[in-house]
This record gives sequence, C-alpha cells and structure tokens, in this order.
Amino acid sequence: MSKELIRLRDLCMAYDDELVLDHLNLYINDKEFLTLLGPSGCGKSTTLRIIGGFTAPLSGDVLFDGVRINDVPPYKRQINTVFQKYALFPHLNVFENVAFGLRMQRRPDPADPRRKTKLPEEEIRQRVLEMLEAVSLKGFENRRTDALSGGQQQRVAIARALVNRPKVLLLDEPLGALDLKLRKDMQIELKRIQQQVGITFIYVTHDQEEALTMSDTIVVMDKGTIQQIGTPEDIYNEPKNAFVADFIGESNIIDGIMVRDKLVQMYGRQFPCLDGGFAENEPVDVVIRPEDIDIVPVEQGQLTGTVTNVTFKGMQYDIIVDFRGFKWLIQTTDHSPVGARIGIKIDPDGIHVMKKSRYSGLYGDYSSFSDEYDELDTVEPEEGGDEA
Amino acid sequence: MRRGHRIGSRALTALVFLFLYAPILLLIVFSFNKGNSNIVWTGFSLDWYKSLFQNRLIMRSVYTTLLVSLLATAIATAAGTFAAIGFYSLRRRPRAFLNTVNSIPMMNADIVTGVAMCLFFVAFFTFWGDFSVWFNGVQSVVVLPERLTLGFGTLLIAHVTFNIPYVILSVGPKLRQMDRNLVDAAQDLGCTWMQAFWKVILPEIKPGIASGALTAFTMSVDDFIISYFTAGSSSSTLAMTIYGMTKKRVTPEINAVSTLLFVTVLVLLVIVNLREARAEKTGEERRPHPAAQRLSRFLGSPRGRWVSRGAAGVLTACFLISVTLLARATNAQPVVNVCSWGEYIDEDLITRFEEETGIIVNYQTAESNEALYSLLKSGAGDYDVIVPSDYMISQLIEEDMLSELDYGRIPNYALISDRFKGLTYDPEERYSVPYAWGTVGIIYNTAMVAEPITSWSALFDDRYAGNVLMFRNSRDAMATALSYLGYSLNTTDESELREAFQLLRDAKDRGVYQSFVMDEIFQKLEGGNAAIGVYYAGDYLTMLENNEDLAFVVPEEGSNWFMDAMCVLKNAPHYDEAMAWINFIASTEANLANMDYLWYGSPNQEALEQYPAYYEELYGEELDQETYDIIAAPPEVLERCEAYLVLPLETRKLYNDLWTELGI
Repeated sequence: MSKELIRLRDLCMAYDDELVLDHLNLYINDKEFLTLLGPSGCGKSTTLRIIGGFTAPLSGDVLFDGVRINDVPPYKRQINTVFQKYALFPHLNVFENVAFGLRMQRRPDPADPRRKTKLPEEEIRQRVLEMLEAVSLKGFENRRTDALSGGQQQRVAIARALVNRPKVLLLDEPLGALDLKLRKDMQIELKRIQQQVGITFIYVTHDQEEALTMSDTIVVMDKGTIQQIGTPEDIYNEPKNAFVADFIGESNIIDGIMVRDKLVQMYGRQFPCLDGGFAENEPVDVVIRPEDIDIVPVEQGQLTGTVTNVTFKGMQYDIIVDFRGFKWLIQTTDHSPVGARIGIKIDPDGIHVMKKSRYSGLYGDYSSFSDEYDELDTVEPEEGGDEA
Repeated sequence: MRRGHRIGSRALTALVFLFLYAPILLLIVFSFNKGNSNIVWTGFSLDWYKSLFQNRLIMRSVYTTLLVSLLATAIATAAGTFAAIGFYSLRRRPRAFLNTVNSIPMMNADIVTGVAMCLFFVAFFTFWGDFSVWFNGVQSVVVLPERLTLGFGTLLIAHVTFNIPYVILSVGPKLRQMDRNLVDAAQDLGCTWMQAFWKVILPEIKPGIASGALTAFTMSVDDFIISYFTAGSSSSTLAMTIYGMTKKRVTPEINAVSTLLFVTVLVLLVIVNLREARAEKTGEERRPHPAAQRLSRFLGSPRGRWVSRGAAGVLTACFLISVTLLARATNAQPVVNVCSWGEYIDEDLITRFEEETGIIVNYQTAESNEALYSLLKSGAGDYDVIVPSDYMISQLIEEDMLSELDYGRIPNYALISDRFKGLTYDPEERYSVPYAWGTVGIIYNTAMVAEPITSWSALFDDRYAGNVLMFRNSRDAMATALSYLGYSLNTTDESELREAFQLLRDAKDRGVYQSFVMDEIFQKLEGGNAAIGVYYAGDYLTMLENNEDLAFVVPEEGSNWFMDAMCVLKNAPHYDEAMAWINFIASTEANLANMDYLWYGSPNQEALEQYPAYYEELYGEELDQETYDIIAAPPEVLERCEAYLVLPLETRKLYNDLWTELGI
C-alpha cells in the first residue's frame, strides 16, 4: 500500500521577502490520508497550493510519480482540490457544478484517435448522478448552490472534485466553515469517502482534533518547517519538541535534567520514566499530559501545589495547580476546591522527555490559562495564499 | 406644531424638486412650441423635431456621437475589465495605489483633462511630424503621413481614456465579491486561465461589466468639455453642436435635440438602476421567461451554437466593415474644415456645396474672436477656413498666421462691392474675402420708452435706470461711451478712455444697468424684461419676430460697424478645397441665402441689389425699406460708423484693467 506518490524536495517559498516555506522535504504515499497541521501562517496552505499547481515555489521540486511537475499547470495535474469555503460556481446549479470538470475533459476520439473529443453527455450525466449519490445529494441536481446548507455545499465541492477521478484530492480547511456537530459528522464522512474511493487525501487544517481523528499521517508544521511527521499516536504520545507537544492536545512542559536513562529530575526531585538515549545530566523538556496526572493526598504526592482555578468541563474538571510559581493543567474527575493544597503522582509512562529546541520555554505554562483557551477558540481559518 | 413642521418640510422638498426639474420641463415643453420663442407659447407642433432630423449638421454629429460612444464603450469595457482583473490580482498596497490613480481622472476637472489631452496630442503630432519626415527620408518602402491632426481618432482615444476608470470602478467590486478561489477551482477542474475567465469570472462579473459599459456610454454621449478640446476641426459631437447652436440664442430646435439627449441619458440611467436593483435580489429564485429558456436551449444545442456563432460573426463583420468604410470615407473624400460663428450660415448652402463639389464640409463654430484666437494659438484649431472679424484679421496678419489667397481661383471676388474691398484690416487685398457685415445700434421697446431714441445718451440716462442692458465685453461697452463722447472707437488716448470709462461707471453706480449681457439679450428684450439694449442690427430683426414693439436705431453720434471675412490659415491642409468653398460662399446666390438667413448685410453688390426681389419671391410680400436699411445700412449711416482696429498692447491692457475695475 505504501508506494510513494508525491515528493516535495527542498521547497522554498516567500511572500514579500518573508520566508513561508524553508527547505521543506516531504513524501506522500499513495492512498494515504495525510494531514498538514499547524497554526495560521505555518506554510501548510502554501504547501497545498504548490502541490495543486496554483503557486510556484521559489526553489525546489515537486515530483509526481517520480516526474517533476513544477511547470505543469493545475489543469493538467491529476489532482483536484476542495477549497476553503468550497468555491462553488454561483451561476451554475448543483449538477453543472459537479459536471464542470467532466465537460472540460477531452479524450482521443475512438473513431479517429488523432482527434480529441468531449465526453458523451450520457456518460457525464451518469457519473455526476453517481457521484451525487455517493455524497448523499441525490435529487439536489437542479438546486442553486446558494440554496444549500453549508454541509451540502461541502459535499457538492467534494463531489465536484472526485467526479474527475483524481489520483490525489487536496482539501484546504474544508470543514472550517461548519458548526461543531456537522464538523464531527463530516470528519467521519470524509474518512469513509477516502476509504471508498481509495485515493490519496492531503488535508490541511489547524484543528489538531480533526487531524488526529482522520489522518494516517500527520505533518506538524510551524514557521515554514516540518516539526514532526508521524501517525496520530506517535505525534500525541511522542512529541518531538515543545511546539508539537503544545499544539497537539494539552501539555505541561517543564524544564528538567536527564539524570540518566529512565530517570529525569524536575523541581529538584527525581522521577522514573521510560525514555532514554540522552547524555548524562542533559537539560531536557519534560511533557506531562494533564490526564496522566493523579491527584493524591499531600503526604503521598511526588510534588505538592495549590489549586488556583477550577473549570467544570462535563467529563472532567480542568484544574490549574501552582507548583512553585509554575502552573500546571490537570484533568481529573475528582473535584478539588480552589485554594486546596494537593499532592500529585505521575506514572513513568505518563512522562515524555524531549530534547531542548528553539521552542523550549515558550509553551507549557498555564499561567495565562484563560487567555490561552480564548485564543484556541478564536483561531481564524487561514485565507488561502494570504499567509504572508 | 408637528403638522406645521411636516408641511414645511414637504414644501421644501417640493421646492427642491421644482428647481431641479422645472428648467428641464420648460425645455421639453417649449421643444413642442409652434413658434420660435422660448417664452411665448403659440401652439403645439412637432416642427422642431422635424427640422431637427432634416438638419444635417445635427444628424452628422448624432452619428459621430453614437459612433464614438459605441466604439469607446466597447474598447473601454474590454480594457477596463481586464485592468480591473489585473488590479484585483495585485497585493493590497499596489492595488490601493492603483485604485487611487484610477479615481483621479474621474475626480479631475474635465476641463483640465481636456486641455491636457489636447496639449499632449499636439505635442505628439509635432514629434510625429519630425519623425516621419526623417523616416520617409531614410527609406521609401513605407511612407508615413507627415501631418496628423486632431479628429475622430483623438476624440475616440480621449473617450476611451475617460471611460476606462468608470468600467474599472464598477467591475472591481464584483471581482472583490467573488470568491477568490473560483478561478483556482476552475483551473483545478481543467480550465486554462482564458477558459476560466470565460466560464467563471465573466458570468460572475457580468452585471458589473454591463453597468460599467452603460455608465461609460452615458458619459460618452453627454461629454462636452473633453470632446471640445480633442475633436479637432473635422469631428463634432452632439453636445458640441448644441453648444455651437446656442451662441446666438436658444431655439426650440435646440430644445428638441436637448430633449432627445435628456431622454436617452434618462433611459440609460433607468436601465442601470433597474439592473442594480435586480442584482440585489439575487437570493430570490430567478426564473427566466419560457421564451428565453427555449431560446437559450436552442442556442445551447449544436445547431443553435452555429447559428449564434454565425450571428456574432456577421455582426462583428458588419461593425468592422462600417468602421473601415467610415475611416475610408473620411480619408478618401476631399474635405474642408470651416470654423465660423453660431447660426452664421444657411445650412442648405453646406449641402449644396457638398453636392456640387463632392467636398465634405466639417463645419464648426467658435464663441468669439478671442476664443478662436486662443484655439488657433493652442494648436487645437486645425481649420482651413475661418471667418474672423476685421480687427482680428489684422492681428492674425500681423502674426503671420494667415495664408495668402489665390484670387485667381475665387472669380466671385469680383462681385464684392468695391466699398468693402481694401479695408484697413487688409488694405492690399491679399488675405480675405468679406462674408457679412453689420452695425451695432440701440434696440428698444417702444412701449416702454417715452420718445423715440436717437442718441447713445439713452444708455446713460437715469430715466431708464434698471431697464438698460449693456454689453458684457470691454471693447463693445467702451465703444458705446466713446461714441457718445465723440471719440474714435480706436483711440489710444488714455484720458479719453478714462473719461469713457467714468461715464460707464457712473451709470453703473447709479443703477442704470439692469445687467451686462451677451446673447441673454434676446430673452430679455423679447420678453419685455428690459426697455433698452445695445446689440447687432441683424439680431434685432430676429427679436422683432417675437416682439413687435421693438425698434432699432444706429445713434446719430455714430457707431461701430463690423466686417467678418473668410480667411485661410497658414499651412491649411486643404487649401484647394478652401478656395472652392470661399468662391462658393462669395457667389451671389449664396450671399442672398445667407442675407436672408442671417439678416446681416452682404458684401456682394449683386446680392445687395437683388435681395428685395429675392425676399418678395420667397415670402410673397414686399420688403419694406426700413427693414432693408437695418439689414444693410445705407452708405450715409455707414459713414458715421467706424470699424474696430487692433489696439496696441498697452491700450489692450488698459481696457483689461478698467474692465476689471468696473467689476462685472
């Protein structure tokens, strides 16, 4: 299954002298669901546009099936795209939107192979109707696109791209404009469609949960470079640096020293862990996920701190605990009141040790807890191509 | 309280609308007047519309206007649409900059745009002249024309230029409303950029393009100022022609053509607004008319597509052919460019001349000798024949701007009365052939004055305070005072001039003058709004038709008499045709027609003698001697009159200073 289909080699891109892609290298396998994940301006949409052929890189190569396609215009690539906000053609109805690509297609005339001919109307009709059925839009052929709901428009956009039977489908934040419930449904729907048609999906999003749910492979990007490539489990459990740890899920990131293999020191105390391969006494970043922390009575705790904030989240409480001025987020089903002194205990497999990076010290402190939550809620979907 | 308030605001609204639309309404109503007055209603008729469509000067300018507007709209719409797309694809800062640059021409005063374009064209033509002379000298394969002139081409370029910003302005917002990804989506689905443009961008921005095109067309149709400066001597738009016709007075014919222009623009505006209103209702289901559906289905079918392609092809071909024909017609046929004064020719003469000789006459008008002079100086007045007045002729001769005439080809010059040959402005008879002459005198309403007026003193008399109309130009106004005082009209003596000025100023301060006027005098005297005015004899007869109480006198102290004569400009491009035109106009036949039309004196001796018989034959009644003497003042009257001469520079400056001091 894992045959390489697309390779990006040393891609660089800049807008107005600002580097948005910095020597990016990446390969994408056939039939893979790959997600480019990162915050606004990380270069993920630009990467997608380069693959689609809408933007030319400053330098570097794009290979498709081993052939360099830098200079191949978008309309000659076996790639189709689902755009942000769908980009349906407002002057055409649902049927004509989906049929658009087929009407543009030419293939050798069976009677006279030197001549190119359009697809027969009957074939177009059949393929469009089949596709509409596949995205559950049967009977919507004659509707105007602006009379459809967001989810329906989304499905028209997918049908319009897939009806051309591309080898790769690019999806640029396709669920950004939908409400939460619909977004969840569509995530499952998209995964189903991908498995059904059996082609490569390259998906761009800033929503880590979406990425974790759907992807075979996640590529975490920041500032034009790839931070980590891996399966959702890898990325979540073994983040390579503080940026990834912070961006994927919630993380407490603490300065530590790797005393020796499987023993890390924080706050002057030593904690057993499962990591190894560091130099003795090497300074490291330690990641502890909020759900891997157990609250215990003060006297049993490896560390003790004071509860400064409690938020009820339904399934659990989000508790902010002050450990000598550094605030941790703990997710627990037990309630602890604000002001209480508590002890905590962390199992060795709850501790993940990372090498120091340029992101060290930037993330993982919940001092500005509420602000950070607001920020996450209000992240705007990126404007295509306007990342500069 | 509240009720009063509301009535007050309603009244105010009504007043506002009254002031906005009453003038236009009046104009429209009087375009249906039977008589030729704009004040006195004499019954309904469509005569003025009829004469409008028979007036070839107007019809030709309608044709020019439509052609230039359509062509300019087509070119500007295409160029503006692509420019708007170009702007749209730019990054924010350069786009904002270009949008500002784009809106400057719309904000800019038309007069500045017009003058600037005129200067630019003239400068370019000069450069082109030098270049083509050199180019034709070094090779002989391609022969470039050495002389370019303002004309239809420059008019078209100017219209395209000022139309483009309007198209960009109305297409731009449509593009911005469009989803930025639409073009990408089309290309993604197999379109080249050009296919994406036709299949996706165009349908999206079509409403913007249509309203841009309509706006451009409207702007083109009613533009006057820019056309005035760029049309040159060979083309004249409708607005320019109307303006030329208003020089003398606003005839109901002008009302009629203005009404048509107003209605045209109104209809276009209504269409634009309706389109916009409909575009706002896009949310609602738009269901095309069944017939339209059938048509579009037919046009979508293979056979229909051939039909529509064929039709488009035929239309394009027709368009191209007509443009080429027009270009050929204007190039191949001999022409003569004439600049005269408003309503200063019997237009049948133009038709007759064209039929007889096959030479096309481009007939334009200037406002005054001074306006003509500055037009010539700027290089924009590219005429062959002009008809300046006496003093202006000597000035033009002095400045070497006139070409000597080939009198051998103007045999009709022999018919000019000896009295009018070798006058001071052209003593050696080398540059001019007299066209028409007349006297200045007092026109007064016999019902409003106690006794017949015989002296200039009436213009300075407190008895008529508030009822006197004075010339609104320094030379003519001063001439009345100088005549009254018994000084020469051409005096350079500063004390005499100051004395004359004092006379004028005192009268003005005492409130003798109701106002200082030029052609407004027609309305005022005809309507009985003033008792006494000073103007030209021929114009008095026109006024008399509308008000029988008016009388005319050349005052006993003497007055100004003037001669307008045909001259040819130096380097006139159509010298031969100019000679033919001058000879034709100098003929007895033409002089009779003009004398009857203008009611100005003819310089042609035969015409002067034959006019009474001509009049009788034409109108079936005898011409009374009194009227004849007003048209062509008898020698004893002319003897007391004096023609203007060019004044020396310092005297002209004094005139200017005094006139400014008077503060009109």
